[in-house]
Amino acid sequence: MTPLAEGRRRDWMKYGFVGPALFVLIAMNIFPLIYSMVLSFTNVELTGGEYRFIGTLNYKIVFRMAKYAEALRTTALFVLLAVASELVLGFALALALRPRFKAKAFVLTLFLVPMMLPQAVMGLYWKLVLNGDYGVFNQVLGFFYLGQPQWLTDPDLKFFSILLIDVWMWTPFMLLIALASLNAIPAYIYEAAAIDRASRWTVFRRITLPMCAPLLGLAVLLRATDALKQFDLVMAVTGPNDGATQTLSALLYQVVFRDGKVGLGTSYSYIVLVVVIALASVFIRYLGALQKKEGRAAV
Amino acid sequence: MKILRWLFIGVYFCIAALPLGWLGLTALKTRQDSISVQAKFLPTLADQSGRKSVFFSANLDGYRGLNQIYAGAQYTFFRYLGNSVLIGFFSTLAAVALGTACAYGFSRFRIAGAQDWLFFILSTRFLPPLAVVVPVLMMYREFDLQNTHLGLIVLYTAFNLSLAVWLMKGFIDEIPRPYEEAALMDGYSRLQAFRLIIVPKAAPGMAVTAVFCLISAWNEYGFAMTLNNQEAVTVLVYFAGLQGNVQGLPWPQIAAGVLLFVLPIAVFTVLVRRHLLRGVTFGTIKR
Amino acid sequence: MKAQIKYIVAICLVLLAQTGFAQEKSITIWWAQWDPAAGLQQLSQDFTKETGIAVKVRQIPWPSYQDQVFLNFGNKQTDFDIVVGDSQWIGRGATKGLYLELTDWLEETVDMKSIHPRAARYLCEYPAGSGRFYAAPCETDAIGFVYRRDWFEDAKEKAAFKKKYGRVLTTPDTWEELRDLAEFFQRPTQKRYGVALLTGRGYDSIVMGFQPFLWSWGGAWGEPQTFKVQGVLNNAGAVAGLEFMRTLVALGPPGAASSDYFHSLDVFSNGSTAMMVNYFPFYPGIVAAMGEQVGFFKVPGHDGRRVISLGGQGFSISTKIPAAQQALAKQFIAWFQQIKVQEKWITYPGAFTANTQLLATEAFRQASPYNATFAESLDYLQDFWNVPVYNELLAVAVRYLGQALDGEKSAQEALDALAEEHELILMQAGLLK
Repeated sequence: MTPLAEGRRRDWMKYGFVGPALFVLIAMNIFPLIYSMVLSFTNVELTGGEYRFIGTLNYKIVFRMAKYAEALRTTALFVLLAVASELVLGFALALALRPRFKAKAFVLTLFLVPMMLPQAVMGLYWKLVLNGDYGVFNQVLGFFYLGQPQWLTDPDLKFFSILLIDVWMWTPFMLLIALASLNAIPAYIYEAAAIDRASRWTVFRRITLPMCAPLLGLAVLLRATDALKQFDLVMAVTGPNDGATQTLSALLYQVVFRDGKVGLGTSYSYIVLVVVIALASVFIRYLGALQKKEGRAAV
Repeated sequence: MKILRWLFIGVYFCIAALPLGWLGLTALKTRQDSISVQAKFLPTLADQSGRKSVFFSANLDGYRGLNQIYAGAQYTFFRYLGNSVLIGFFSTLAAVALGTACAYGFSRFRIAGAQDWLFFILSTRFLPPLAVVVPVLMMYREFDLQNTHLGLIVLYTAFNLSLAVWLMKGFIDEIPRPYEEAALMDGYSRLQAFRLIIVPKAAPGMAVTAVFCLISAWNEYGFAMTLNNQEAVTVLVYFAGLQGNVQGLPWPQIAAGVLLFVLPIAVFTVLVRRHLLRGVTFGTIKR
Repeated sequence: MKAQIKYIVAICLVLLAQTGFAQEKSITIWWAQWDPAAGLQQLSQDFTKETGIAVKVRQIPWPSYQDQVFLNFGNKQTDFDIVVGDSQWIGRGATKGLYLELTDWLEETVDMKSIHPRAARYLCEYPAGSGRFYAAPCETDAIGFVYRRDWFEDAKEKAAFKKKYGRVLTTPDTWEELRDLAEFFQRPTQKRYGVALLTGRGYDSIVMGFQPFLWSWGGAWGEPQTFKVQGVLNNAGAVAGLEFMRTLVALGPPGAASSDYFHSLDVFSNGSTAMMVNYFPFYPGIVAAMGEQVGFFKVPGHDGRRVISLGGQGFSISTKIPAAQQALAKQFIAWFQQIKVQEKWITYPGAFTANTQLLATEAFRQASPYNATFAESLDYLQDFWNVPVYNELLAVAVRYLGQALDGEKSAQEALDALAEEHELILMQAGLLK
């Protein structure tokens, strides 16, 4: 084949691989994104009817009213605490589960089950477990004379209850990816370190950790983008209108569905989108640098 | 050190397993026992009515309730489970297939604007679904995709593609190029190299991705309720329907439903566990 | 001959096809997924038998019912002909042109005197007192108390109560009497509690639970005609009512400050609480589970004033359907209001009526342990705002009342802040000048 034909063939190949996925994403996203963007400049309501352009009024409202910033703050705190806990716990578990042992498959599968449960329903179930009157958790605590915190109704505890449920459910996500990243480290590197008589701590700090960092970083990115959309848990446990737990999705639900202000809601989500895009690009650049350091392909 | 490790695993095992165990117990109780002020841990077959103890009489009413057509539902739980399986399975298949191919493309070829494309793919995850419910609903009504299996399959595939592409790219990047380059030099076509070299080596990554995609599609509530609340209804909508029971929330039925609902995913995970545990191993090729 | 017969048969079949498979008339009703809706579906089979019009009752799960209905209203044509809408939706439905105005039709088709005036006012009429109707009664509802009759009738308890309070242990008629009872039964060490009120924050439980206190103590949400809120919502009476509610919340099970309809139901059903207030559709289930152990009484009053939170949904016809469908819908609604249909309607679990004739009969009162209490409660019903911005008013009220019950704000502070916010919302909505 001539070089030109070969080149063109390669082009077809390239686009053959990436094309279908991109097509689906663009087709499914382009209309909603553009349409929502347009709506954010109007005062359209959920129930339809007449609406008109109001310029950037919605955006001004979002910047002016405290509840939007509060929801953002609550969400940021939630994401930070949840993802950090899940990362540490998940990675520690992966390290602990590395060696072979009997029933490893069983234990691992069991550890993964919380992640497989539907959040919307588990929120309800945790209400059964954590409530103050007949919840088994407090009954067990009472048995050990450990006090009776009101997990679901104490304004100071509500946020942490949701956080705890989220960590309980999603640590397996980090665990799985951490396991995969640990398994990816070639045995010969450890052999070489053993020959050099490196200490366990050095091995961990200079080999294990850095080699896992790229995949773990990716996991953090993926989990964080999920955590910031947390809604089902909040909705099931405290409802969308609770000051202590109102994440940005909860506030969005309140504004779009309950108040019916679709335009205002979408303007809020676009402001959030801009913030997240900014943060994500910084993080991705950092991830790319990590990968480069490890000699892997750039992002 | 070893003791610490086992202690850690043990403690976490309790944290993970105990709530699940309670879920299992709740599924076997009567509704009255599930909300009892005296928590009941021990199932017996004898009749325990009227006794305030940790024993309760186990029964299968929670599960039987699933088999009844509940007030207002059109079908039993199992029909909805079937819908969830269909929608979950096909959207996962599509997401993993398209995602792996796409990830391979970005990993191995030089594509103009790759960084931007990849960022775009990731950014489809950023927007809360609630923000686009209205336009998506409009789109679906236009194309008559509301209340169809295909509608949700396509939607969930799109939702999961960002995860699939990024995860698979992470895994494929780990596979050293020399493997395929050797095959290409031996005369294999690119497609063959992909199929025969990359896919097997990326299988663990695909397993992990498949599990996540399945879970995400399986447990999605917002769009399942909005788009498919009359036909092709998934189990999440069924659970929501249980929240109008004027006899109070049917906890045993909810627990039984959750356990049965998680079963297919657990089974799937067990089936691919070899891949999950294996990870990508490298042999002797030096850097 | 054979060919001719075949020909005739063919023509007959074609004619049969025209008539037998002619466009079947049907109406679609949307309601929430719960027992009364299942009852409606069954009952409507009678309608189909009489008129040949099929009726499909689509049930949307409660948690998303409001969302799906209003989302659907955003389309050019709604998927339903009739929506059994919550009482608060009526303002939105009326002002946004979603609900068909039924004023003239309702008055000539149904004897308005047969509908209890409170139900008519709060479930069907908008704006309040204007005489314009946008809904017809379907499910009329109210809150009422259920109590442990076996505890109240226990001789030892009666003696102890008499000793402590100097009067007979009986169902309370005033809130103060109820407080004494709650205090008496509040025994946390034995896992026994006094009273479970409605205080949930998920949607509107806390508002429905607070209303009787607000109104009986002389407060109100605002002035219905001028929409003035300051001085009405936060007057001395309202503050006293909220403070009283706080004392009652302390006499309940753990978590009583944030207990929604289902949670209150659970803490009573598990036998730990003496009294519980909730909406009547929950009571058939309690009677089925607890039978003779329970009794019912209507919401108490204070200082001679008794006001009870209304609930329920009414039939509203969508404006976004063809006129022919609207006519069919009207036919169904008219059929439903007939007394013989109402008599059958109330036999379904959780179904209640506003038919004054029926409510007055002895047969109704005897039909179940709570019917008498329900019938008596109707005279005292009142509802929250049903203006189009009811959701925002509700959300803010839930927040501030919650803070008051949690002890984060004093009753006065909470109501002051709430009054201010309500006026802001009403002003933005163009209702308050």
